[in-house]
Amino acid sequence: MDFITQLLTDPIGFYNSHTLLIANIGINSILAASMFVVLYSGQLSLAAPGFMAIGAYTSVLMELYWRTPLALDIAAGTALASVVALLVGLSVLRLRGVFLAIATIGFIEALRLGVILNLPITGEGLGLQNPKADPLGGVNMVLVALVLVVFLLWRLTKGRLGHAWSAIRQDELAAMSQGIDVARYKMLAFILSAALAAFAGGLEAHLNFFVDPGDAQYGVTRAVQVLTFAVLGGSGNIFGPVVGALFLTTLPEILRFQGFNYRDIVSGVILIAVIIFRPQGIVGRGGLAIIRPRWWPRAQVSAPSPG
Amino acid sequence: MLLRLADVQRHFGGVRAVDGVSLEVEKGAIQGLIGPNGAGKTTLVNVVTGYVPFQSGKAWIEGDQLNGRPAHRIARLGIARTFQNIRLFKDLTALDNVLIGMHSRRRDDTLAQLGTLPLFRRDQRARINQAHKLMETAGLDPAEVASRAAGTLPYGDQRRLEIARALALQPRLLILDEPAAGMNPSEKQGMRELIERLNKDGLTILLIDHDMRLVMGVCTRVAVLNFGRKIADGTPDEVSTDASVIKAYLGTGGEREVHSAPGAGGVVEEVDVAAAAAGAKGAPEPEMAILDVHELSVSYGPVNAVRRASLRVAKGEVVALIGANGAGKSTILNTLSGLIRPDSGTAIFDGLDLTSADPSAIVRHGLVQVPEGREILARQTVRENLELATWAKRNGRATRDEIEAVMLRFPILAERQSMRAATLSGGEQQMLAIARGLLAKPRLLLLDEPSLGLAPQLVDEVFAAIEEIHRDGTTILLVEQNALRALAIADRAYVIETGQILLSGSGDDLLHNPAVRRAYLGG
Repeated sequence: MDFITQLLTDPIGFYNSHTLLIANIGINSILAASMFVVLYSGQLSLAAPGFMAIGAYTSVLMELYWRTPLALDIAAGTALASVVALLVGLSVLRLRGVFLAIATIGFIEALRLGVILNLPITGEGLGLQNPKADPLGGVNMVLVALVLVVFLLWRLTKGRLGHAWSAIRQDELAAMSQGIDVARYKMLAFILSAALAAFAGGLEAHLNFFVDPGDAQYGVTRAVQVLTFAVLGGSGNIFGPVVGALFLTTLPEILRFQGFNYRDIVSGVILIAVIIFRPQGIVGRGGLAIIRPRWWPRAQVSAPSPG
Repeated sequence: MLLRLADVQRHFGGVRAVDGVSLEVEKGAIQGLIGPNGAGKTTLVNVVTGYVPFQSGKAWIEGDQLNGRPAHRIARLGIARTFQNIRLFKDLTALDNVLIGMHSRRRDDTLAQLGTLPLFRRDQRARINQAHKLMETAGLDPAEVASRAAGTLPYGDQRRLEIARALALQPRLLILDEPAAGMNPSEKQGMRELIERLNKDGLTILLIDHDMRLVMGVCTRVAVLNFGRKIADGTPDEVSTDASVIKAYLGTGGEREVHSAPGAGGVVEEVDVAAAAAGAKGAPEPEMAILDVHELSVSYGPVNAVRRASLRVAKGEVVALIGANGAGKSTILNTLSGLIRPDSGTAIFDGLDLTSADPSAIVRHGLVQVPEGREILARQTVRENLELATWAKRNGRATRDEIEAVMLRFPILAERQSMRAATLSGGEQQMLAIARGLLAKPRLLLLDEPSLGLAPQLVDEVFAAIEEIHRDGTTILLVEQNALRALAIADRAYVIETGQILLSGSGDDLLHNPAVRRAYLGG
């Protein structure tokens, strides 16, 4: 339990000795925010790792070939991902629920297996060296970016745009009856989500000397991981997915004590417990969902109002 | 002229849901739109509001053409609607629901809200005030409901909130699709007052509802649809005495002339409903009942669907339970089969307490329901559907014989036995559903709307089959909207209105009782 003891007694030393973990928490939180945007507008899109790859490769390649400044690299990756999101969205956003999830998995696999693993410029599956990476200096940047992203989304969800997304998530037909252009707002969410994922991808590539095209990085495994952040934390507001990312990124470290080899099992049990007892997520509204025995009296339904 | 429809058509496959309807709604009017189940009312609304595309025909709201526009554009043109099955944003607060309604007339303030600028906060305060006023207009207390999740509000309040949300659009036309469905009389009265108040403030309203008292009481004009066509249009008085309207609602008695239908021909009836009910007590309740239901009350959450209903069925009888849509007929049947549990009251079938017995035990005891909408297995063949009905019986040879016997009774099923059930016509599907019910060897057969959605000659076939089953000694409890047909074959009948048994009597008595028409068409 050194981990928690150090966090409580020596936060500065903790920060210095765990920069990589903290940076990962930041990156995963931005990815979780990307997932939040699509879920908040009622779309089960798993495309984030694909846009993340676009952001990562674009910024690293610009760095390698043109030696452009980092800010421009990441901005270019984000912009490219937004354009790709528009094109992908035009074809897949007519789908709903699990069908959209499958279509977006198709997109990320086509991108990874079809493009990234085949182009000479991306290293044809061997990955890409990034000698200009800055694993230690990058962490502050990531944390500032995270704060900005969270603030931006928190404000967005409070206004007209957020109201429109909520309405669409709850009931598309009813949203239309209120004059909300459902297709347009879904597209906006999809593009914003893609931009955030690409932004996270660009940042992450800057923290590592090697861009790894593996499944755990830009494939389905990553997509499921990011979805889990949002489910665990709850997607009712922006803080849920961020807490989910924080929790799930930190948990393996907390469980990393001497001679304990069952970390994955413990993580799995915690995840199942949260889904059973807090289906709305850790940060979601409402108390613990207690499983009611059959003989327990049901909660009273309030009486209808007269007139 | 606020809303004008010209020859609007919408077919689904071979079903002419809306078949050339023209309609004009005056500015400032309360226009009613009524018709029996499946007449095409909701489809017409869905076409007009852009949810279902036009097939042909045109529609305008004042100068703006509606056809070809998507739903959100039509909403912005000022047509607000509520939904038959309430479609609130359930997990959002009541306040947010109303705020979302303001979406289309609110400027895009994304940048202002990102900076939390004073502009955004001032506008937001103004919007919240306005939303509170709209809730008050709809009869809700903002202090009590504004911060509650919409889905947790009582049923009547949800209906009101949906109206408040629709008003937030500042519509030119408000379309209410069954706003009073499932409400008790005092809630209905409140809804009526709300509709009148909104209209007095200058709002034009198109009202769809099955409660004729509400529609006839509140509307300035009423249009009637049947099988997708407009069959009448006029003042409430004209419409409620129109022979074709009465025929559409009460059905036809086969060869029976429409003029003999209760209350047809514009006869002014001064008879009070209660008096008529008293006069109809001619047929005595049976002494020895195989089914005895006493003071049964059933509710869905806060909605009271059935209130203290009592009825008895003797062995060998055909008893009809008639009443308008939403009166609680199917709820009674579902309670008898153990699918729904009552709040209070008793229901005994041949010694078995139906209010506590397991649904499968009820079937084994000999009470079998043929559900509304038939619920056959569409992808299975006719024979497979019948074989599944004998699932519980292990004796292969005996069940084969039973299936053969049923097919002898319904030759059309034998002919089609290897076809998928989905390819059968509506009437054939109904036959299959009844045949499946018979295989369970019922002593009491509950039939729920067997003629629903069927063309007239198919209705004849289904009723002929029912009479034949009855002749073979099966006791039948029949729920029907087609009152005249049901009364013609029934020994006795009960008329149910808004969850209460209004009157009972022999089939013949009720056929000529004006109170029956009132139960369907209001008074």
